[in-house]
Amino acid sequence: MSARTTVLDPAVRDAMVAFSAAAKKGLGDPGLAELLMIRASQINACAFCLDMHHDIAVAKNGENPERIALLSAWREAGTLFSERERAALELTEAVTLLTEGSVPDETYARAAQHFSETELAHVLGVITVINSWNRLMVSRRIEPGGPAW
Amino acid sequence: MTTNHITANESTANHSTANESPTPYVPEHTPRLDWARQAPEVYKAMVRLDAAARKGVDPTTYELVKIRASQLNRCAFCLDMHTKDALAAGESVERIVQLSAWEESRHFYTEKELAALALTDAVTVLTDGFVPDDVYEEAARLYDERELSQLIAAITTINAWNRFGVSTRMVAGHYKSEQVK
Repeated sequence: MSARTTVLDPAVRDAMVAFSAAAKKGLGDPGLAELLMIRASQINACAFCLDMHHDIAVAKNGENPERIALLSAWREAGTLFSERERAALELTEAVTLLTEGSVPDETYARAAQHFSETELAHVLGVITVINSWNRLMVSRRIEPGGPAW
Repeated sequence: MTTNHITANESTANHSTANESPTPYVPEHTPRLDWARQAPEVYKAMVRLDAAARKGVDPTTYELVKIRASQLNRCAFCLDMHTKDALAAGESVERIVQLSAWEESRHFYTEKELAALALTDAVTVLTDGFVPDDVYEEAARLYDERELSQLIAAITTINAWNRFGVSTRMVAGHYKSEQVK
């Protein structure tokens, strides 16, 4: 694999960091935020992001590694994920796979049952910010653990 | 139609011929969520990201990139906004019309614009598999490293706006470009 570029304007980087912090803080559920970030990073195949968020989830937040291992099959994973988590994961998949269709009414409605409007706006923030990190890292082919700027 | 600037609501009676009774469009929907009001810090960060990412990106190219990403992500609000902004900035209708078929209408665009559009498609449709080497290398041939990094940031930013626009179903049709006097 040929190296690409690690250039990332400090102003872009700082805005992204602020975006992440605002979305996560507003959601107020670090465990859920990491699940959503890992799921989006799986779909977007972002190696750097998978590596980073796996570490944060397991080492920092004490997430159960089995839940991470089964995350891409969450629909089939029985009661391993709560209804609230399942609604957020379904929304994450729809918002990440935007080019395959819209965000269906049922998906949105299910999320709206489990989250207040303020929480929902921040769930969408978390999903969108990780999609943005995924794009910045995959495009520049940043290696897992490697310098990202 | 007799007017160029009609909103979706105003247009309902304006699209029939003289001998037919008007067939109204379906009613306008309301957005699902006022996300910017519910998450003001997130919105502020998005505005900051937008300002940072556009630095060093050719404005004409950036409008094409924004329209193209919004087509791929099917963001109605964003298409409305960026098409109007592009037209107000002097972009041709023809180049906007051809944009979703840019690979078949290469002679409407410059070499640099084509490289930016190919990169936009790849970075936007990430789930089809990575950003191909030939796409990246063609962009890297035509843009210096800093310009390329900013172009990637700009593509990323419109993708982010698209996600908020589609997921909260922001309403198209009411945007007025500041450049229209």
